[in-house]
Amino acid sequence: MVIAALVCFGILLVAWILAPSDTSHPRVEPTAVEPTPEAESLPLAA
Amino acid sequence: MPEISAGDTAWVLMSAALVMLMTPGLAFFYGGLVRRKNVLSTIMHSFFILGLVSVTWVLWGYTLAFGPDTGLGLIGGLDWLALEGVTGEPSSVYATTVPHLAFMAFQMMFAIITPALITGAFAERKRFKAFVLFAVAWSTLVYAPIAHWVWSPDGWLFGLGVLDFAGGTVVHLASGVAALVAALFIGRRSGLIAPATEPHDVPMTVLGAGLLWFGWFGFNAGSALGANGLAATAFVTTNTAAAMAAITWVTISWLHRGTPSVLGAAIGAVAGLVAITPAAGYVTPAASVLIGLGVGVVCYGAAMLRLRARVDDALDVFSVHGVGGAFGAIATGVFATVAVNSAGVNGLIEGNASQVAIQAIGVVAVGAYSAVATALILVAINLVVPIRVAGPAEEAGLDLAQHGEIAYQP
Repeated sequence: MVIAALVCFGILLVAWILAPSDTSHPRVEPTAVEPTPEAESLPLAA
Repeated sequence: MPEISAGDTAWVLMSAALVMLMTPGLAFFYGGLVRRKNVLSTIMHSFFILGLVSVTWVLWGYTLAFGPDTGLGLIGGLDWLALEGVTGEPSSVYATTVPHLAFMAFQMMFAIITPALITGAFAERKRFKAFVLFAVAWSTLVYAPIAHWVWSPDGWLFGLGVLDFAGGTVVHLASGVAALVAALFIGRRSGLIAPATEPHDVPMTVLGAGLLWFGWFGFNAGSALGANGLAATAFVTTNTAAAMAAITWVTISWLHRGTPSVLGAAIGAVAGLVAITPAAGYVTPAASVLIGLGVGVVCYGAAMLRLRARVDDALDVFSVHGVGGAFGAIATGVFATVAVNSAGVNGLIEGNASQVAIQAIGVVAVGAYSAVATALILVAINLVVPIRVAGPAEEAGLDLAQHGEIAYQP
């Protein structure tokens, strides 16, 4: 059982070494957001 | 066969849970200090270590640190590999009134948070794969031997008489020095406007500091390994030193920069917690006031020096944990008294100046070993996986470049 447990961890260790180093995700650019007034900044009459 | 105490067992298990919470707390503490494009990667360092070291500690870490000595007081043997022989019965050596597994679990939480502390030094530029390999290697080759030296009855520093109640040298000095070495090795972050860190979320950092403070009661009072007066002493000295260091740091920053810094309160509290860690069960509450004051001044000065030196220890791990841990270890040699802990020794104030020298030997030995071993580990890993991410990835932020996720929607 001890050997099996060590082997399980060893498999993960090998997987980490073989795994890709960086993602290929495209960079997310910030998008413009329309500013909306917060509730407390609205005129009371509104 | 020693008998199990229900009260002691409950307290040690509860303390283990408290210390476990410190690692997510550290994730918040560090996460708030970095720029928003790196918050997930910073949190991930701590959270992944929580899983990683939990497994390595069970498999081989515990036996290397606390297993029967191999003969020279340097490292434990493999008798308890994968916790073979570590059961619900008490150990005949460690915490003899609680199940051996409870003691092991408590120590596991220390082993988890120690490499997590180092991650603050290389935040915002370390490749995740290299970090994983570093965490495995460092916890095995640096943490486990040092824990054995200081806390195993057969450890050579233990035999020398070094006092370290809860890990001032084992946890904080070792990780702080490793952080400095890592920061020097990996180099400065690119794109910083100022050498100081640029915290993106101070409330997150204060939340993290609060969780750390809370968990530290398990760290220090739990190190009494029983529900007793010593635990109560450690609880009070821990809180007092943290409080004193927090208000000292705020006061200094107020006088120095003109404003009482919120961030300073959080960092000051952590510095106080670090410094009282080796002393918590050996000193009086009055001494903890002096330790808190002293470490607040010393660590603030170290943080200022770090900025001038332009070493990019991104989140001041060395200034707080390295310097604070060394300060606390020496202060233990000054303020220790057997009136608090009959299992300890008297320090300088009680007429035993030699304890300061013994503590200094412990500081030098742990610091030097951690520095050299950390450097070797970094060099070796860098041959396999480049430790630093490429420039475009660093510019984009590690959250996206390394994990493919972002913390906050635009």
